[in-house]
Amino acid sequence: MNTVAEKKHRVIEPDSLIGKRIRKMDAPEKASGRTRYIHDINLSGQLHGKILRSARIHALIKSIDTSAARALPGVHVVITAADIPDQRPIGVAKDHFPLKVGRVRSQRDEIAAVAAESEEIAEAALKLIKVEYEDLPVIGDPEDAIKPGAVLIHPEPHGADGTHMHLKQGMSIAHKGKPDNIAMRFDYSHGDVVKGEAESDVVIEDTFKLHYVTHCCMGVSGMIAEFDASGNVLMYSNTQVPFLHKREFAEYLNIDPARIRIIQPPIGGGFGSKLDIYPFEVICLYLARAAKRPVKMLFTREEEFLASPTRQPVLLTLRSGCKKDGTLTFRQVHTLHDNGAYTSWGATTPFVMMQTFSSLYRVPHCDYHTAAVYTNNPYAGSFRGYGNLQATFAIEQHMDMLAQSIGMDPLEFRMKNAQDAGEVTGQGMSFKSCGFKDCIRTAAQRSDFSHKFGENQANQKAPGTVKRGIGMASMLHVGGGAKIYPSDGCGTILKMDDFANVTLITGASEIGQGSETVLSQLVCEELGLPISAVTVVNNDTAITPWDVGVHASRTTFIAGNSAIGAAKKAKAKILAVAAKKFEIAEDYLDLRGGFVIKADSGEAVIELSKLLRNLHFQDKAELVMTTFYYEPPSVHQDKGFKGDVSAAYAWGTQVVEVEVDTETGIVKLIKVTGAHDVGRVLNRLGIEGQIEGGVVMGQGYAFTEDLMIENGRMKNPNFRDYKLVTAPEIPEMDIAFIESMDGEGPQGAKGVGEAPAICMAAAAANAIANATGVRLFELPFTPEKVYRALHGKTPKLYWKPWKAE
Amino acid sequence: MTELKHYYAPTSLDQAVECLKDGDVTILAGGTDLTPQSQAGRIKFKHTLMNIRHIPQLSGITLEGDEIRIGALATITEIMEHPLVKQHLPVLVEACDHFASDQIRNAGTIGGNICNASPAGDTLIPLLVLDARVELASMPEDKLYRHSMPLSTFFVGPGKTRKSLCELVTGVRIPVPAANHVARFYKLGTRPALDISTISIGVAGCLNGGVLSQVRVAFGAVAPTPVRAEQTEQALEGKPLDAATIEKAAAIARDEVHPIDDVRASAWYRKEMIHNITKRILGHVAQA
Ligand SMILES: Cc1cc2nc3c(=O)[nH]c(=O)nc-3n(C[C@H](O)[C@H](O)[C@H](O)COP(=O)(O)OP(=O)(O)OC[C@H]3O[C@@H](n4cnc5c(N)ncnc54)[C@H](O)[C@@H]3O)c2cc1C
Repeated sequence: MNTVAEKKHRVIEPDSLIGKRIRKMDAPEKASGRTRYIHDINLSGQLHGKILRSARIHALIKSIDTSAARALPGVHVVITAADIPDQRPIGVAKDHFPLKVGRVRSQRDEIAAVAAESEEIAEAALKLIKVEYEDLPVIGDPEDAIKPGAVLIHPEPHGADGTHMHLKQGMSIAHKGKPDNIAMRFDYSHGDVVKGEAESDVVIEDTFKLHYVTHCCMGVSGMIAEFDASGNVLMYSNTQVPFLHKREFAEYLNIDPARIRIIQPPIGGGFGSKLDIYPFEVICLYLARAAKRPVKMLFTREEEFLASPTRQPVLLTLRSGCKKDGTLTFRQVHTLHDNGAYTSWGATTPFVMMQTFSSLYRVPHCDYHTAAVYTNNPYAGSFRGYGNLQATFAIEQHMDMLAQSIGMDPLEFRMKNAQDAGEVTGQGMSFKSCGFKDCIRTAAQRSDFSHKFGENQANQKAPGTVKRGIGMASMLHVGGGAKIYPSDGCGTILKMDDFANVTLITGASEIGQGSETVLSQLVCEELGLPISAVTVVNNDTAITPWDVGVHASRTTFIAGNSAIGAAKKAKAKILAVAAKKFEIAEDYLDLRGGFVIKADSGEAVIELSKLLRNLHFQDKAELVMTTFYYEPPSVHQDKGFKGDVSAAYAWGTQVVEVEVDTETGIVKLIKVTGAHDVGRVLNRLGIEGQIEGGVVMGQGYAFTEDLMIENGRMKNPNFRDYKLVTAPEIPEMDIAFIESMDGEGPQGAKGVGEAPAICMAAAAANAIANATGVRLFELPFTPEKVYRALHGKTPKLYWKPWKAE
Repeated sequence: MTELKHYYAPTSLDQAVECLKDGDVTILAGGTDLTPQSQAGRIKFKHTLMNIRHIPQLSGITLEGDEIRIGALATITEIMEHPLVKQHLPVLVEACDHFASDQIRNAGTIGGNICNASPAGDTLIPLLVLDARVELASMPEDKLYRHSMPLSTFFVGPGKTRKSLCELVTGVRIPVPAANHVARFYKLGTRPALDISTISIGVAGCLNGGVLSQVRVAFGAVAPTPVRAEQTEQALEGKPLDAATIEKAAAIARDEVHPIDDVRASAWYRKEMIHNITKRILGHVAQA
C-alpha cells in the first residue's frame, strides 16, 4: 500500500465547534468530587483565623479586653483595631475599616480577630474576648435615615471639647464622617418629563418594594494568606477581580502591588459576590502578617449569611405614561436604596437600573433619581443582574398596566415600543445588533401567550380555587462588557507545544460560568483543533495577563475576542511557515482537524504537530507563542451617565406560567418560555445551563428567598429559614436562542451571564395578575403575601418620591 | 466547648436503660435534630452521649395482634417503604413523603421525631389521628420497666414531653384501622420539599354512609405542641359530611387554634389556612 500517496489525498471535512454541546472542562473533576476548593487546601504551618463580630447593631465600643484570649494555649495572634494603627479604609466609598474603630454599625461588624492552631481554639478564644458597648439608636428603615434629625451612621468625629472636627478635604468617610446619611446619589434625565406627561393620555404611578436576598454560594467564603521571608504576599482567594484587587490589597498593607500574588482555586459560587474586597480578607492578611505563618480563614454557613453582601433592596416609585395609540410618552423614577452601614457595589446598581428605565423601550422623556442611604442593615453588593431585576420588576409591570389602561394587548404594546437595531437611545446606547422584537415574538409564539392570556383573564371570576396565569417580561443588559473603568480589556498569552497542544493563558477568571470551555472552543475554532488539545491557565496573577474581572457578563465577549486575537496570530504564523515550506500561498491554506490543509479542497498538507516540530527542531528554531490584548470599542459614560458603555447589548424575553391556589396563596411555577438574543450560541450545553440556572435564581428571588432583617438583625441566617428553590419546584423550561450575530462579538456572540435571572420576578408578577386580577408590588411572592393580596389585606404601597438635595 | 465526657453505644435495651439511670445522658438516634441544635448552641450535651442505634429492640416494623408496632429507630425512609405501613397506614406514608429530603429521611427516626417534640414534627400529626401510643422503657430499680401512654398526652411544650430523663422511647403502637377508616394529611410550607411545616393538618375517622365517626383532627405548628382539635372533632362526630357541616367545622377549627407569628408565617395566615385546608380536606374525605 502506498500510504504516502493516500495521506496526500486525505481530505479533512469542514467541521465547527460553534453551537455544539460541549461538556464543561471542569465537569469530570467536580462530578467526581476531585475539585480542590479553597476549603481543601492546607499549607504546612497554617493557622486558622476567626473573627469576632458585633453583638450589637449600632453601638459605641467602650472597651475591648483580649487578655484572656491571648493567654489561651494555641492562640498565636489576637488583633483589634488598636493593634493595626495603619488600617486604611476599604470599600467602594472608603467608609469603613476592616477592624472597626470605636463604633459598630451593623450586626456583621468585625471587632477582633484571632489566629490559632485550630478552628476550635480560635472559636474558644473569641468567646474569651470581652467587649463593652454603649448602644445607639438603630436605623432599620431607609426612610428613617433621611428624616430630619435622623441619627447619623457616620457622624463627623468630635474633638475633646465636643466640637466637630472638620477634617481635611479628600479624606475618606471612614476618617472624616458624613454630615448626612446619603451614601451615594444618581440623577439622570433625557428629554423633558413634564412635556412627556402633558402629551400622555394615561399616567400611572406605583411604588414597588424589592427585598434582601443573598448569593448563597455553596462554597462559603474563605482565603489563605501567607507572607514569605522577603515580605511577599501569596493569597489563595476566590476574588472575581484579581488584578484590580491586587493593587487594593497592596494599599491596605502599605506595600508595593508587585509583591502580591493571587492564586484563585476553583470557586464554590460567585454570582457577583466576590467583586468587592471584604473586611475578612484584609483581616486575614493582618493575621498572617502578625503571625508570620500562613493563615486560613473560612466562614461558617451562618457567617456566610451574616457577612456576605446582599442584593440591593430598593424602594421605587415609578410614574409612566402613554398615548391611546400605545406610544410610551415618559417615565419618571425615584428610588431609595438601603445602603446598609457601609458602601459596596450595591450602591452603584443605578448604573444598570437606569439603562432599563431609559432604553429597554423607546421612551422619549425619562427622569431618574436615586439615593443610597446609610442604615444599620447589612450592606448590598453586586449580584447577577446588578439592579436590573429590581428595575425590570417595576418597568415590566407598568408595561402591562399601561397596556391594560388603554385596552391594548400587552404583546402589541411591547412590540410597538420595543427597540430595533440601529437605534441610539436617550442614554446614548447604540444598538448595533438587536433581536429584541424576535425575542418577544418567539417567546410569545412558543408559549401561546396571546391565547392563554385572554383565556386566563376571562377565567379570573369563574368558579374554582386554582387559577392559571401567564405573564411576560423582557430585559436589556450589557452584552459586550461595560466600560466602568478606563479599561475594559483582557489579555491572552497562547503557546503551542510540539504536539500541537495549546496552552491558553487568559486574564479571565473561571467562576463556574464555563469560560474555560468557551475560550478553548474559540481558540480551537481558529486553529482547527479538538477541544482536548487545550489547557487553560487562568488563576495566577503571576502568570496570567491583565483583565478587569468577571462582571457585567463580559467574559465570553471580552476574553473571547482576546483569545481569538491570540489564536489568529498563531494561525498566521503557522500558515506562513507552511506556505514557505510547501510553496503554496498562505491564502490557499487553512487549519482543520489537526492538519494544515488546502483551503479549497480540504486536502491535508501536513499534520500540524509535525509542522510545529519541524519549526522547533531546526537550526533557526522557533516556537509558536502569541499574545493579544483586546479592548472593546465602548466608551466611558459622561457625567450625565450617557454614552455607549458596552460594545454590544443583550436582549431577552421570558414568559412565565403559574397556577395560583387562591385558598392558600401558593403559586406554582408551571413553565418558563425564554427567548434570548445571545448574538450566537457558542457552547449550547453551557448556555442552556446558564439560562436554566439563571431562571432558577430568578425564581428564588421571585418566590421563596427572603433574607429577613428586623431592626438591623438578621432573623434567618440559615438554609432552614432562608428558602432556596429546591428541585421539585423547578419548572419546565423551553428556551430559544435568537442569533443576531453581533458584528463585534466573538463568532457573533454576546454576553448572557446575568440575563436569565432578570425577567423572572416581573414576569411572575404579571402572570399572577393575569390569573387573579390582583397585582403584587412587593417581593417575594410567598404564599402568605399572595394570600393577603388576594384577600384585600395588603395596603397599597406608596412611597412619596424623594430626591436628595 | 461541650461538657461531653463519655460516648456509649449499648447493644441491648437493658444496657441502655441502665445507663440512663443517672439521667445525665444525651440520647443520639439519627442525630438530625441533635446535631444542628447543638451546633446552634440550643442544647448542651450532657455527661454521656449514648448512641442507641445498636439496640435491636428499638428497630423493626411489625404486626402484633391488632396493633402495628414501629420501633423507635425506624427511619422515615423505612416507614415510607414498609408494606405494613403502606397497607394500613397510608396517611403516615403521606406525611413521610413530605418530610425533609432523602438524606434526612434515611437518617431521621420516628423516635427522634417524637422525642424532639416539635410542634411542626411531621409524623406526629398522623400518629395523633391514628391514636398512637408511645412505648417507654426505664430501669427504676434493677429491672427493665416498660409502659405506654397515648401520644395525645405525651407532649408538654416545644421540645418537652412527659418522658423522664431516665426513660427511653422504644417505639409507637398504632391500632390497625378498620376497613372503613379514612385519614388525610396536609402539610403547608413555602415549598414542596425540605421545609418546616407552616401548618399541618391531619383528619381521620370512620366513614359510614357519608357520616364520619370516631373523628380525629390534629394540627401542627399552631400551638406549643402538636394538638388534637377536640371542638372540631365534636362538630364532625356522627354528622353527615355535607357542605354545612364542613363549613362549620372549618370555622370552629380556625377559632380553636391560637398560633403565633414567626419567620414562617403570621398567626392570622395560619388561622386562615387551618380554616381553608380543613375545609378542603373534609371535602376530599366526603368524596372518598
Ligand atoms: C434539613 C432537615 C430537614 C428536616 N425536615 C423535617 C421535616 O420536614 N419534618 C420533620 O418533622 N422534621 C424535620 N427535621 C427534623 C428531624 O429530622 C426529625 O425530627 C427526625 O425525625 C429526628 O430524628 P433523629 O433520629 O435524627 O433524632 P435525633 O436528632 O437523634 O434526636 C432528636 C431528639 O430526640 C431524642 N431521642 C431520639 N431518640 C430517642 C429515643 N428513642 N428515646 C428518647 N429520646 C430520644 C434525642 O436525645 C434528641 O433530643 C429536619 C431536620 C433537618 C436537619
